[in-house]
Amino acid sequence: MSKWKRYLRLYRVLITQFLKTIMQSKIDFLMGLFGFFFNQIMGIAFLYLVFEQIPSLKGWTLDQLIFIYGFAQIPRGIDHLFTDNIWLVAWRLVLNGDFDRYMLRPMNILFQVIAEKLQPDALGELLIGTILVCRALTKGIVITDALHFVLFFVSILAGALIYTSIKLFFASLAFWLKTSGPFLQMAYEMADFAKYPTEIYAKGIRFLITWVIPFAFVAYLPASYFLKSGTSPGIIGIECGIAAVLWCVAYALFQYGTRIYESAGN
Amino acid sequence: MGKRLKIYLPFAANEMKRQMAYKGAFYLFILIDLFSSFIRYYLWMAIYGSSGQEVLGGLSRSEMVVYVFMVYVTSSVVMISISTKVSDDVVMGTVAMNLIKPIDYRLSLISQAFGALMYRFLVPCIFIWSGLEIYKVTVLGLTLAGGKEILLYLLSCIMSFMIYVLFDFCFGMIAFFTTYIFGLRLVKEALLGFLTGQLIPISFFPKAVRQVFDFLPFSSMVYTPVMIYLGKYTGSTLMFMLLRQAAWVMILYLLGSLIWKKVTKRLVVLGG
Repeated sequence: MSKWKRYLRLYRVLITQFLKTIMQSKIDFLMGLFGFFFNQIMGIAFLYLVFEQIPSLKGWTLDQLIFIYGFAQIPRGIDHLFTDNIWLVAWRLVLNGDFDRYMLRPMNILFQVIAEKLQPDALGELLIGTILVCRALTKGIVITDALHFVLFFVSILAGALIYTSIKLFFASLAFWLKTSGPFLQMAYEMADFAKYPTEIYAKGIRFLITWVIPFAFVAYLPASYFLKSGTSPGIIGIECGIAAVLWCVAYALFQYGTRIYESAGN
Repeated sequence: MGKRLKIYLPFAANEMKRQMAYKGAFYLFILIDLFSSFIRYYLWMAIYGSSGQEVLGGLSRSEMVVYVFMVYVTSSVVMISISTKVSDDVVMGTVAMNLIKPIDYRLSLISQAFGALMYRFLVPCIFIWSGLEIYKVTVLGLTLAGGKEILLYLLSCIMSFMIYVLFDFCFGMIAFFTTYIFGLRLVKEALLGFLTGQLIPISFFPKAVRQVFDFLPFSSMVYTPVMIYLGKYTGSTLMFMLLRQAAWVMILYLLGSLIWKKVTKRLVVLGG
């Protein structure tokens, strides 16, 4: 228990230090936030233009698609906000030997990596996600009984954990490859497939994003549970199961990687 | 002209060599870029399937397939960002070195971008383009693109490249005013994706919006060459489109010179 307390306190201290650096450049912060926000707005505008031509897409209405789109942003934003530093492991911390400093301190290594940074740009994604989900609530297209309400938050957290696990898994490959950034980027970009109903894709792609790199479980599948009555809550259960398994695999790989890590240089 | 070529050609050649040195990552990035084309492809197929119409926004289902992948080919050849280089040079102060050399800074950047263009054309684009042509004939049942379309398309692409690079140079000048253009670059990319017709053909926009777009250089960057390739412009429209592209090259060239003159006057570089 005291161990947890210690880590919480350390996290607070480290993040406070980081926030001080952010405060020095408020404009940068605002522009990054705006950039991510704007990016998503364009995706919505695309849907609007398309729906000028068609009444529904494979049985989904415009409002439903916008909900799926927005819902997908929230777990993504949470993961982006808290664990963005994992990207650096993939791109350069292992490559240039900076990873050494984590090995030397008497703290959990992954904790140190994560606690070093918050990514405020992610607030743009969280903001747009929240707005779009609220929009769906006012339109009354989302089921709002107690069970759905609770599972909504469970699903978001499980989704964020799936994101983090996939990121950690591919970043850990850097311990063998020295830099795994391009692989991580490739896996990460697959999330874009899950912003739309998976029925539209060919079987192979559908299988890939449901069971191999399971982004469908972050966005489309849980979102459909909140939209269509009669969908089994089991889908959220499977999501949690997948999140747990992926996390264990990714974390084990990371642990194993830190054991074989060799510093760069002389 | 010959002398100029001798000065600036090595910039292009070096950039090609540099790109070749990082092949591994490069191939993966091609794959990543293709992802979004495939998402769009499946999305459009579902949209055509749901609409029950054969033609949407002036394009048939088969033409839309060509559109999606030709947009990929065109934008990866045309949209070669130099603003990153400009802003790095300004922030690091290395721009001063470029000012004292007897070369034109902008022309050297454009030459580098041209090297990247040649490399991208050779590595993914020509294969994807050929693959698309084969798919077009065997599966979609369309005819092979004619020599005239291809030539006009390439001509239009060169002008698109110039428009994009000259525009991006102006954009990079923002670095003289703020050191952080990462966020702005995200906004630029999102906006361009929309305004150039990458995300959705411009014919899908409401008429009033299209009229505004007519006065902006962006549709000349990607949309125009792809529509030429599809054979959508003929006769005087075709001439007008090409002339409009040429006009934008001129305008953005002059604008870039003007801004460059203004900002280098107020440039302060610390250290030596």
